[in-house]
Amino acid sequence: MKKLKMITGITWAFAGLILMFILFPGMNNLSMSVSKLPFMKINPNYNGGVVAKQIVEASCTLDIRKPVFDGLLKERKSGFVQIDWRGTVPDNIVDTIDYDLDEIPDFTITIDRIKSTTSINAMSSKVLNIGVSTPTSYGWAVRVNLKK
Amino acid sequence: MNNNLVSTSMEKSFGKSLLYTLPMFLITFIFISGGKVDFSNLPAALAIVVTFLFMNILYFMMHYTGKTDKFRVILFIIFALSLSFTLIKNMMEMRHSMSFSQADLLECKIPFCHLVIPMMIIPAAFTKSIIFPGSVIGGFADISSMIILWLVATLVLGRGFCAWGCFYGGWDDGFSRFRKKSVIKKISESWRWMPFAVLFMVALTAAMTLGPTYCDWICPFKAVTEFEQISSVESVAKAVVFISLFLSLVVVLPVLTKKRTQCSFLCPMGAVNSLSNKITPFVVKIDKKACSECFKCVQVCPLFALTKEDVKNGKASVFCSKCGKCVDVCSKNAIHFGIKGVPAGTMKNFSRNLFLFVSFLFISVFSAGSIINAVQSIFKLLF
Repeated sequence: MKKLKMITGITWAFAGLILMFILFPGMNNLSMSVSKLPFMKINPNYNGGVVAKQIVEASCTLDIRKPVFDGLLKERKSGFVQIDWRGTVPDNIVDTIDYDLDEIPDFTITIDRIKSTTSINAMSSKVLNIGVSTPTSYGWAVRVNLKK
Repeated sequence: MNNNLVSTSMEKSFGKSLLYTLPMFLITFIFISGGKVDFSNLPAALAIVVTFLFMNILYFMMHYTGKTDKFRVILFIIFALSLSFTLIKNMMEMRHSMSFSQADLLECKIPFCHLVIPMMIIPAAFTKSIIFPGSVIGGFADISSMIILWLVATLVLGRGFCAWGCFYGGWDDGFSRFRKKSVIKKISESWRWMPFAVLFMVALTAAMTLGPTYCDWICPFKAVTEFEQISSVESVAKAVVFISLFLSLVVVLPVLTKKRTQCSFLCPMGAVNSLSNKITPFVVKIDKKACSECFKCVQVCPLFALTKEDVKNGKASVFCSKCGKCVDVCSKNAIHFGIKGVPAGTMKNFSRNLFLFVSFLFISVFSAGSIINAVQSIFKLLF
């Protein structure tokens, strides 16, 4: 039994050595495999969720993302919807958004990029306020807080 | 005389030490430089050569002197400093600030570190997603690469990751060596269970909020890496917490206690790695027959991993990071690196050589990028 334990221990130690040898040269392949695991995607609370509707305007594209209410076990009572303006975004933005795609406008958002001010005119009782309004590398992004 | 003879038993002759260093020399050369050094970019080439030679000299010295921790800690501290330097430099170049903005969060551009892993497990199981605004693959410190690095290191080294891989540990390890003698001597060993309480708390709150709560509110190393842009009362409160915890647990307490207090009392990853010590092949063993019960090892252990009871029982506890400080200090050579299943007091040299090879290979290749970057920056400043 003692000998078996010894052999197992030493074998495991050498397996560790082999793992170390594989780790760095195989880093790209290994991390690529890990990235393909089903849970390896960023939670919508961070990346803003998937794009539900894309509106192409004169100089830029408007992405309306799917509202995010994601919780651990079930959807939360409050969440947000993220709107992205991509491309050459005008200094003054005024857009009316139908975030739930029911063809009824839910809010109008006004952004002054020079003064960095954002205001919202809610037309739905589910729209609460502006969570985030920020310039991004691709243009501008806004998160509007919602309730269910 | 007898003591002296025993204490030098891990030492090797110059030639034998060179022979033991040769495989590390070749492997680190291939892994670090890709097998060739491009001298057309002189600062970069010199940085690679200097880093590579410096690392291999440390490894040689470990064999030549028979001391482990004495040389490990040099690389460990340099790793921590150079990583912070590299990260801050990158951020200053990219964002002109150490803080990240709301845009960085929205665009998922935050570098991922291993401390997030314990918090993302429950949400990943339930929501099948990662609760961190980072890059899944590609870019600086992506999630997939960090998971792989941590997973392999933890499987092979267990809590050894905290002494041979963690790019934060060098901070409090360094500060714990500032004074020759500790000012605060009596600290209850029960504090070493504290990281498990922190782990439980952050895992629970992260699952409830779907946010990395430790990174958001507690992590002391935000003070030397990156933090949220100060734009609200909440962000000020967070910055105060980060800086206070850094100063108290990473600077002041390690200086006063000569212990790695952040790692011992706070780090949730330390708790996870302690559990992984149960499966790792490498352990620290105590040969009860050779032990004189002087308990110097208990005194010097930076992570409260050794108690008098542990010494009497002949093995280090699960908190052991295999830093080698206790091994270096033992005049009877009773405490040594071992392999699970191999009885204490046997195959000491074989076990040490194998452990050193594996752990040093990990830290040298893992740290090389940051150190080369820092050395290159120094060269550019000087010349």
